[in-house]
Amino acid sequence: MSADIALPRVAPANSRRHAPGDFIFRHLTFLFALLVLLILGGVIVALVDGAVPALRHFGISFLYTDVWNPVTEKFGALAPIYGTLVTSAIAMVVGIPVAFGVAMFITEICPIWLKRPLATMIELLAAIPSIIYGIWGLFVFAPFVQQYIQPAIISSLGQIPGVGALFAGPPLGIGVLTAGFILAIMVLPFISSIMRDVFETAPPMLKESAYGLGATRTEVVLHVVLPYTRIGVVGGIMLGLGRALGETMAVTFVIGNAHRISASILQPGTTISASLANEFTEAVGDLYLSSLIALGLILFVITFIVLAFAKLMLLRLQKRAGG
Amino acid sequence: MSAATARQVMSLAPSDPPETHGDPSLGQKVLIRDVDFFYGAFQALKNISMPLHDRRVTAFIGPSGCGKSTLLRVLNRIYELYPGQRASGEVIVDGENILSSGMDLNLLRARIGMVFQKPTPFPMSIYDNIAFGIRLYERLPHHELDDRVESALRRAALWDEVKDKLRQSGLGLSGGQQQRLCIARAIAVRPEILLLDEPASALDPISTQRIEELIAELKADYCIAIVTHNMQQAARSSDFTAFMYLGELIEFDETERIFTRPKQKHTEDYITGRFG
Repeated sequence: MSADIALPRVAPANSRRHAPGDFIFRHLTFLFALLVLLILGGVIVALVDGAVPALRHFGISFLYTDVWNPVTEKFGALAPIYGTLVTSAIAMVVGIPVAFGVAMFITEICPIWLKRPLATMIELLAAIPSIIYGIWGLFVFAPFVQQYIQPAIISSLGQIPGVGALFAGPPLGIGVLTAGFILAIMVLPFISSIMRDVFETAPPMLKESAYGLGATRTEVVLHVVLPYTRIGVVGGIMLGLGRALGETMAVTFVIGNAHRISASILQPGTTISASLANEFTEAVGDLYLSSLIALGLILFVITFIVLAFAKLMLLRLQKRAGG
Repeated sequence: MSAATARQVMSLAPSDPPETHGDPSLGQKVLIRDVDFFYGAFQALKNISMPLHDRRVTAFIGPSGCGKSTLLRVLNRIYELYPGQRASGEVIVDGENILSSGMDLNLLRARIGMVFQKPTPFPMSIYDNIAFGIRLYERLPHHELDDRVESALRRAALWDEVKDKLRQSGLGLSGGQQQRLCIARAIAVRPEILLLDEPASALDPISTQRIEELIAELKADYCIAIVTHNMQQAARSSDFTAFMYLGELIEFDETERIFTRPKQKHTEDYITGRFG
């Protein structure tokens, strides 16, 4: 069969009978993709629209007022914002070193037979529903913290002049610190699995060069692997942070839900998402509801910035690995 | 080196011409004896025995997969990073068997520098690339560290090109410069032995020439082992050549002899390009 006979066959092949199916399929998938964007846009519009009354009423002071009084209808977002940032910060301070250690152990130290099972089990931590973390946190972890960890902190760190105020007060079990711990456990699998992935992108020859100079494992990881993968590591941390900022159920169970800013991180507080979850059902009055929606908008903006930053970091890493 | 070891070395050494024996500086720095190597069940080295002379360059040549790089990797035990790889036999460096289990691998590797096929600058400044290895084992005041970095860069013939940008990233250098940076990094820790694994294979001809000149200069102070695919390079820059094939050492002799009057037919076929 020669080429000039084969050529005209191509055209009819394109308009074969099943072409309408292809047409529908293409446009249907496009529609689905569009739908996601529409939903995202719709959420933003609804959030902004719902938040406008509160923002108009309280103005920019909504962001830095520490009052939350449904009776007098005075609302300020400072306490939930503070709680959100502080619990996430505690989660990062506790979670990052542990995640780093886990990732380092799995990539550099762990015997091969243990590698897969260990990695899988850590990723399974991410599969536990957050309500389970909440229940476990309230009934098991908080009493444990109250009985052992908090007294130790109060009698040691709490006695240091200056910073002591951060660790003062009675050991209640529930509170900002406990919420931070729970969040640390929850973000651990996310951060450590991304760290593990980026550690594996370090070229073996680069590591061998460092070992070849007489460096120990710790020195190789800290001074060569970590700098080489720092963008990816930061990206992973940001993804974990994004999750910590928005986590609702587990935090609501253990934070104590007090609309106030305590100097001590051992005391109860609240976060944006915990406030929303607790108060939506009892929000009477437009201003109350609108204030809650405005809280949601603030959370959305914070999380969006963090996640955008994370994506940007990871994108830069991929670009470098490719080039 | 004890008298007994020295005798064994003599008996093992190939029929060296008298002039090399007459040179007292030409000690045998390393003695490889009955070394076998396994990647899992696969035996990559079979009963290798040969010396490496101090202040001389020894080239390992042979077709791909002959085990020459593997042999190099035995000499600083870098293979131990990977489970399933193991070596048996003895590698005696200054009278001490470095394959023995009591060996401190970090200290060993600080004594034996290695440069790889592709340049592997660390993701840090040019200065820190060199200072990294020094800082691992020595605490030096700033000006002394500066001196050490400068002298290493000078020895690697890189100083003039980088002296104004020591704080810039080592990743910004050209391929040839990066490779010289890696050589500078290896000699900055003042090793006794330098292992070069096809150090010029990824470089252009001019950079290759500079690396070869560098090797010629460095051999005044070091015992150098170089793996190369390039016959001319082996002929030009080495004093001794080991020809390997399928994990066996076929012939070891002075480079000149290997390339002019090889004893084995196999060696001759390889260096004349009849196979490989």
